Amino acid sequence: MKDHRLKSSKRRDFLKLAGLGAGAAGVAAAGIARAEVKVERAKDEDRSLGYRESEQVKKYYALARF
Amino acid sequence: MQATDEAPCAIIEEDALRVQAYGLLARLLAEPPSAEFITRVAALEGDASAFGLALNELAAAARDASAEALAEEYHALFIGLAGGELTPYGSYYLTGFLFEKPLAELRADLARLGIVRQEQRTKDPEDHIAMLCEAMAGLIAGAFGEGPAALAEQRAFFDRHLGSWARQFFADLEAAEAARFYRPVGKIGRHFMEIERQAFAMAA
Repeated sequence: MKDHRLKSSKRRDFLKLAGLGAGAAGVAAAGIARAEVKVERAKDEDRSLGYRESEQVKKYYALARF
Repeated sequence: MQATDEAPCAIIEEDALRVQAYGLLARLLAEPPSAEFITRVAALEGDASAFGLALNELAAAARDASAEALAEEYHALFIGLAGGELTPYGSYYLTGFLFEKPLAELRADLARLGIVRQEQRTKDPEDHIAMLCEAMAGLIAGAFGEGPAALAEQRAFFDRHLGSWARQFFADLEAAEAARFYRPVGKIGRHFMEIERQAFAMAA
């Protein structure tokens, strides 16, 4: 979604200063926030609007597994 | 941060960090940590912020922890013979009972967002704190729909299903009698919920 990127820089600065940077980057480096999922994406046949391939899911896992 | 280089989806660095924070909380609260996971947690390093210091506390607690001891602690806190010390469900926090209206509302939102419970992994109601953290992580990262959920959507989900009670739950966890390792988990969660609340307010 486009507006996702247009959030205020104030908010971004705040998140940076809140300590998520050092902390959560460490979480990423340690590879521990990998989605050990108990929820998942609904199957396409269960979705009223869904048709997407699982590309976003792969990206999510690539991101979260790091 | 390297993770964003790996992931071409439109997610900015700050949001990647939020995904990590939610993911960490989800993993810590979904089930007792494995020995391997404890070793990884022990390696975490935060900065001098309140969130970072709590992360350092957690890492220190992990260095003194064993999988057996944490399984007992998890059980005493969240499961227990006659119920654990805490009941980590939104419906319970908001109404005093499980399976009440807040869960029904959550289920409607999850269905709309294309999020389902992994039936083979859990039978917990969906308003378990770990599942909600995972849902937030997935919304931010775009695991469920057509890319990352818009910030307004994230905020609506947070306000409706986490913002009203999760901070209190994490404060209770921090103060729980049985909590040792989970005390800094509560602190991390409490700080992070406050960060989220303030950050959403800034974007409004």
